[in-house]
Amino acid sequence: MPRPEIEQITFTVDGREVEAPAGTMLADAAKLGDVDIPVFCYEPKLGAPVGACRMCLVEIEGIPKLQTACSTPVRDGMVVDTQNPRVKSAQESVVEFLLLNHPLDCPVCDKGGECPLQDISFGWGRGETRFVEPKRHFQKPVELSPLIAIDRERCILCYRCVRFSQEVSEDYQLILHERGADTFVGTFDGHPYVAPFSGNIMELCPVGALTSQAYRFRARPWDIEQSGSVCTMCPGQCNVSYTVRDDRVVRVLNRQNDAVDDGWLCDRGRFAYQSTYVDERVTGPLVRENGRLVEASWDRALATAAKLIDAAGDRVGALAGGSASNEDGWLLRRLMTEVVGSRDFDSRPAGLLSAGLQAALDAPEAQATVEDLDWAHAVLVLDTEPVDDMPVLDLRLRKGIRRNGVRLAVATSRPSALDPNAELTVRFAPGAGEAFVCALDAAIGGVGDVTGLAAAAGADPEAVEALGRMLREAGDDVIVVWGERLTHIADPERAANAARALLKASGRLGLLDGRTGSGLLQVPSGGNGRGLREIGVLPNVAPGFSEPAKVGRSSREIATATSAGELDVLHLLHVDPVATFPDRALWQSALGKARGVVAHAAFLTEGVAAHADVVFPSEASAEKEGTVTHPDGRLQRLRPAVGKPEGTLPTWQVLSHLITALGGRATALTSMMVTTEITEAVPFYAGITHDEIGGFGVRWQDRDASEDFPAGDTGPFSLDAPVAAASPNGALRLGSFRSVWSSPEVRHAPALKFLAPKQRAELNPDDAADRGIRHGQRVLVTADGTVVSATAHLRTTSPRGSVFLETGLGDESASALQSTEATVPSMVTVESA
Amino acid sequence: MSNHLLFENIDEPGLSSIEVYKRRGGYQMAEQALAMARDSIITSLKDSGLRGRGGAGFPTGLKASFIPQGKMDKFLVCNADESEPGTFKDRELMQKNPHSLIEGMIIAAYAVGANKAFIFIRGEYVQQAEILEKAIEEAKAAGYIGENILGRGVELDMWVHRGAGAYICGEETGLLDALEGRRGNPRLKPPFPANQGLYQGPTLINNVETLTAITYILKVGAEAYSAMGVEKSSGTKLISVSGNVRRPGNYEIEMGMTGRDIIYGLAGGIEDDREVLLWFPGGSSSPVLTKDDLDLPYDYDSLAGAKTMLGSGAIIVADDSNSVVDIAVKTASFYKHESCGKCTPCREGTSWTTKMLKRIQSGEATPMDLDVISSVCEQIMGNCLCVLGDAMAMPVASMVTKFRPHFEAHIEEMRVQNEARVLAEIAAQGNVLQGIAAD
Repeated sequence: MPRPEIEQITFTVDGREVEAPAGTMLADAAKLGDVDIPVFCYEPKLGAPVGACRMCLVEIEGIPKLQTACSTPVRDGMVVDTQNPRVKSAQESVVEFLLLNHPLDCPVCDKGGECPLQDISFGWGRGETRFVEPKRHFQKPVELSPLIAIDRERCILCYRCVRFSQEVSEDYQLILHERGADTFVGTFDGHPYVAPFSGNIMELCPVGALTSQAYRFRARPWDIEQSGSVCTMCPGQCNVSYTVRDDRVVRVLNRQNDAVDDGWLCDRGRFAYQSTYVDERVTGPLVRENGRLVEASWDRALATAAKLIDAAGDRVGALAGGSASNEDGWLLRRLMTEVVGSRDFDSRPAGLLSAGLQAALDAPEAQATVEDLDWAHAVLVLDTEPVDDMPVLDLRLRKGIRRNGVRLAVATSRPSALDPNAELTVRFAPGAGEAFVCALDAAIGGVGDVTGLAAAAGADPEAVEALGRMLREAGDDVIVVWGERLTHIADPERAANAARALLKASGRLGLLDGRTGSGLLQVPSGGNGRGLREIGVLPNVAPGFSEPAKVGRSSREIATATSAGELDVLHLLHVDPVATFPDRALWQSALGKARGVVAHAAFLTEGVAAHADVVFPSEASAEKEGTVTHPDGRLQRLRPAVGKPEGTLPTWQVLSHLITALGGRATALTSMMVTTEITEAVPFYAGITHDEIGGFGVRWQDRDASEDFPAGDTGPFSLDAPVAAASPNGALRLGSFRSVWSSPEVRHAPALKFLAPKQRAELNPDDAADRGIRHGQRVLVTADGTVVSATAHLRTTSPRGSVFLETGLGDESASALQSTEATVPSMVTVESA
Repeated sequence: MSNHLLFENIDEPGLSSIEVYKRRGGYQMAEQALAMARDSIITSLKDSGLRGRGGAGFPTGLKASFIPQGKMDKFLVCNADESEPGTFKDRELMQKNPHSLIEGMIIAAYAVGANKAFIFIRGEYVQQAEILEKAIEEAKAAGYIGENILGRGVELDMWVHRGAGAYICGEETGLLDALEGRRGNPRLKPPFPANQGLYQGPTLINNVETLTAITYILKVGAEAYSAMGVEKSSGTKLISVSGNVRRPGNYEIEMGMTGRDIIYGLAGGIEDDREVLLWFPGGSSSPVLTKDDLDLPYDYDSLAGAKTMLGSGAIIVADDSNSVVDIAVKTASFYKHESCGKCTPCREGTSWTTKMLKRIQSGEATPMDLDVISSVCEQIMGNCLCVLGDAMAMPVASMVTKFRPHFEAHIEEMRVQNEARVLAEIAAQGNVLQGIAAD
């Protein structure tokens, strides 16, 4: 459905002429004339209004009954009265009714002081009650989940939370029990409400009925300050507001930015702040002494690191993790290119694409925005699981489908949480993305043979044909949301060909010709993947996707070279390749062989703990300063909400010190100066300042400097994608995923710990039956003699012939069994433990 | 004797079977209708002056004309949730003459182009649901329901859906939610069901009696039908008379008959020749009338003029052996129990009013509480999402206004009683104390 054109109309509210976009609900439109209409159940984020609380009753000329302002769209010439005695009496009535059963325990209520019910009672209530009967009583407070406490006596039954669960996150867990005045909110069977986005209901609650277990009784509104920044834990980069008390983050709230997050947060983003204040966190520099990491002074740590790097000459490799800001990445790049003289640095776990190809994928003409997803005719989710890889996107896609009739197709290896919402789902073999996209291109009208290519991808040819038809016929606005995973192939030619196939297919659909509302939206594997790419933290790409003079080694090549003794020192910027990259064994060997490992880390993850010679503390999200780039090209600003632990330096400053210690130019005296260096070096960032980025960010594609974006060069496209192996001798293809709960922050935040995943092998029930495996049983997954144990998890939607394991779980990780070297997915055997 | 249409053959043995029904001329109207232009059926309905028999009295032809044209799934829903206390006319119709309802639905579905029809029947009507299911099977076998009805290329399928027992599911949008398998809560209007009803599709919802009447309107002709009754309340109406009358039951009357003729004529007067204390003219949600109102003509507009309503046509008569306080408590408690809880004034207001009335009943109130009740009812009326809140507020408010002396007398009587009881208790304690002192 195309985005509707909206015209301005004029209406009158309380005697004032006000201009508003046609169709705006009166409750919102009145605000444009500085008239406040009180609401409880109305929340535009939740979709269509329900008119349940009756707080917003107003009089509209020509309509005999009072109308709910939340559900009445403004029309030209409408005359509205929100103040007359009749309306006033209705407002007072509703406040009186709502307070009948509400305990007036504001002095001990967490919401007290920031409570809509308090404000509205004060502003629109009568100030007294005539109610002398006993109030409604419930056991209270009770745990709705380990994260949320529910006080049913305070609940005013606006049922925002239930609507969120039913209509936004669509987890369908929260419901209303009983009826009438006995109604209460709960889950169907009393099970805890555990879901990726559950925390949002606390912010939606207009009273103190849903409170955060982690924040309960920690502060009163007059003790705290709000500080806006951006969450950097995933590419979603949701805008957040940190609640700070005594220089500590005690809560995270959304800071609604419709272009990014629609005002939602995932539970990881909401509760991970707790990991800032745990003992396990690295809060000062560490140096390895007699095989153990011990606390050291900054001078000593910097000197040790500088000495290691200096001694290695140009035999230094560096990796930047997804949470690195543009500034962190930039200074690492400068350290490597200007001081060390090495181009062996990378910000991607695998898959090397040429500068020209990268530029073709990231071209402004090919770029779809997050907001475009609301109104697309069709969206293809390709090789990514939004709820894990970029959670807030999951809610965005559901919104478009539910409210605007967006047609969704899902093409992934592993069953997706969005499958039930998709018109069409296609499964392909794990790792066979290249062949699949070639088949898709053929189905859209390309030259290849759909049947053959689909078979090579392990996909159903008819489903691929149907997908091609759907995308061709859906309309002009088609968006492909694709996971960077598609190009995570060690062989650069194969990685490039997967990208080329994607561009071919997209071109055929007209996604690359600059039309607003259609295009590609990549889900990078690192939170700031796009920013790091654009500023050139890649071995073969210079800032702004220009060609560098010399091409260095990619992630995997760095690992191989270090293992082979060709590189001496590894510099790890907020990343632990052993824990999170594919080829676990290779990285273990590389870190073991390296003469020196310099790491910036917040937690001593396994690779860092075992091999780092110097560890510099990384900032927590709330302490970070700098900029990041959203997957749709929006530069956003990180502002420190709290001070760093005493005596700690920010990462950009550590890198800056290293540069000077090794004889480089001392140019970066503030973080902002680094930003300026970046905007001077990346042509299409030219002139962007912190002020211009402001609170909601700025998309570089919307600025004049975007004309300086280099032309892409796709290169020749081949159809000889490798064939996804069938399952010889009962072996299964190994697929991997990384759940939203897999991160050190989740493992270390007390509130979230219970969600930290344990390894499970997702199997099709038929494959399981063939092996005599039952649901919930322990199994052993073996490849080339390496064994990972897991719990069998049977899913009827899981494709036959494949097994899926999670990454990021130490020795039990899928990465222990996986190698990106092979052009076909690893084969494993699964048997009962 | 009134002119019988819907109840013409109602006591014919075996009328619920298709053989007897057809022998009595059944399904001829459906056959005739399918040969007519759709518009002309709707025009007939408009000309007949038929108004919705479920309670709101909205002109049926006009409602049908709101259904959009065009080829798409359209729905016809028969509201057989008959849950207004005192109402039992649809039960008799469905039980004894199910085919006349089905025939009316076939005609209505054809007129608006609906291809799927549902009868949402209250769960307690087990026997009636089974009769309807059987009748639908018979009609299908006879070719009146199916993919190509009577070879005319008209498609209609029909289902019976049993409710799970909630008054609110008689509210049309609450019914639609329940039919879709969700919690039966009313929806915000607009959008009206005609545009976005069942599964967001165009939907015509009508009461059992309304749909049945369609068959008879075609039979006698719109003109003859509109000639019956009085202006703006044409035709016949099924009324359910209950309470302290000698002959409670369902009667078919021509609109405009007086209340006295109904209660003292058809229903045989009051038991033991007592006086009427009050009567509900249109179900328990209609504001009550007194014995002074007995000569009101029973039609939509006359009753509206008396600040009450014809509603579902259920007359409940209470004689002077009853206490108005008990009636008020009973009425309020019912609506409190049935309030869905979605909107604030109804959820909180019905519960509060019930608590206050019960306090009055048990003698723990003062006359000031009556003012609060009136004020609370005032605060509910017109401010709710649907009419359930009003359904309690209107009769309760009317009782408190019209019978205030009764309430005050009850309060005073209970006060005296309670006072005497307390004094007796104190005296008893005093005796004990004296006894202790004496020891």
